[in-house]
Amino acid sequence: MSENNDSHDDGHHINYRGIYFALLILFLISVAGPEVGERLGLPWITLVTAFGIALVKARLVINNFMHLAWEKRIMKWVLATSVILMFLMVAGVAPDVMNHEGNNWENLAAKEAVQRGLAEAAGYSDGEGEAEGEAELVVAAAGFSAATSYGQICATCHGAGGAGDGIAGAALDPAPANFTDPAFWNDPIRTDNLRERVLTVIRDGGPAIGVSALMAPWGALYTDDQLEEMVDFVMSFRPDE
Amino acid sequence: MAHVRPIATTRSATGIPTARLAVWWILASEVVIFGGLLGVYLMHRIGHPEWAEAASHTQTWLGAINTFVLLTSSFTAVLAHQAAEKGKGKEAAKLLGFTILGALMFLMIKSYEWYGEIVAGYTITANNFWSFYYTAAGLHALHVIAGAIIMGFIAVDAYRGRELHRVEIIGIYWHFVDVVWIFLFPLLYIAK
Ligand code: HEC
Repeated sequence: MSENNDSHDDGHHINYRGIYFALLILFLISVAGPEVGERLGLPWITLVTAFGIALVKARLVINNFMHLAWEKRIMKWVLATSVILMFLMVAGVAPDVMNHEGNNWENLAAKEAVQRGLAEAAGYSDGEGEAEGEAELVVAAAGFSAATSYGQICATCHGAGGAGDGIAGAALDPAPANFTDPAFWNDPIRTDNLRERVLTVIRDGGPAIGVSALMAPWGALYTDDQLEEMVDFVMSFRPDE
Repeated sequence: MAHVRPIATTRSATGIPTARLAVWWILASEVVIFGGLLGVYLMHRIGHPEWAEAASHTQTWLGAINTFVLLTSSFTAVLAHQAAEKGKGKEAAKLLGFTILGALMFLMIKSYEWYGEIVAGYTITANNFWSFYYTAAGLHALHVIAGAIIMGFIAVDAYRGRELHRVEIIGIYWHFVDVVWIFLFPLLYIAK
């Protein structure tokens, strides 16, 4: 104890066992949080129990196990500086990372990543948890049906009934096309070469026909014949007038 | 000219023993490393709705057991420190041994967890969520491994009643590794 005998070792007695039990109880609450939140229909409870409790636990450990509370003040400043720099870094890039477009810019790669991910997720949630890379094969191999493929991929955004009301679609701007709206089909930009246009947009994505890149290219998923079937299927949503 | 050991431990302008000062400096840099990593994860998680689906595949129970294991190992680490302060080297060594055991359990559970995930196709290249998952948890696991190894050396010394002040130093580092996991756990397993 010779060289280590400085002020901070004396004069405070911490009930380590008590702190440990407090940590365990907090831990149990954080695990139970989502269950409770779900049952009460209050999803924000999870946020509080997950991150609020993490902060409390971290504080308990830092103060009582690491003894930072009794450490010389300069050390607290050094650590605080680190924490502040970290927050500065995060705050500095957050606007660019969290938004995918601004006044004068658009992050197409990020937008595409979002819908590729959403489409993949839609293809899997009802499958047997196939590896990501195999999605395309699954769609192509198992006796192709345009309706099934639409249901797995397009419905996330365009809605099962084609009304543009898929779960992921709600979050998109522009909204996914609503195939049940007569105005969609009667728009002059479509009336000329309708079939061609629908085929191009499915195969090459929105930008190929001058609309949003949120409509991704799906050409890789389909053979030429299957593409035609997809076009037929989309056009079957067209209401009779 | 005999070989003289430097006496850095007695030279301290801050009033903090040099070894402890050093470990705090390391942790100050670790704050930026892990803090930056977690911050970047949070931003992407919010900006990318598709991550939610991937995140729903992490195994909450394995994460929870590991949280319990690490919390407990932190407890034994601080008890080791307490024993060392009283000059009880053997007991400190034993408690450090328990802490190392905790580290090994943590790593075993982690391997089991990763094995299942990799076999199911959730590899580091599957998508950005899994890339992050393996990067963050992997970097953390490297810290667990490094901590356990250093702790082994310190435990051997402590058993012989030598360098007892180091027990506190490795403890501080170990608690930090625990704190990082305290944040990783809700991020990767709870908030889905
Ligand atoms: C990630 C969401 C998303 C998915 C998945 C998606 N789309 Fe779209 N789609 C959109 C959005 C958004 C638009 C509207 C683009 C615009 O108006 O700028 C659109 C537009 C369209 C249009 C109209 C193009 C036009 O303006 O003439 C067609 C046809 C279409 N999608 C077909 C499909 C088919 C078929 C699939 C499945 C293979 C599919 N979409 C999957 C988001 C999606």
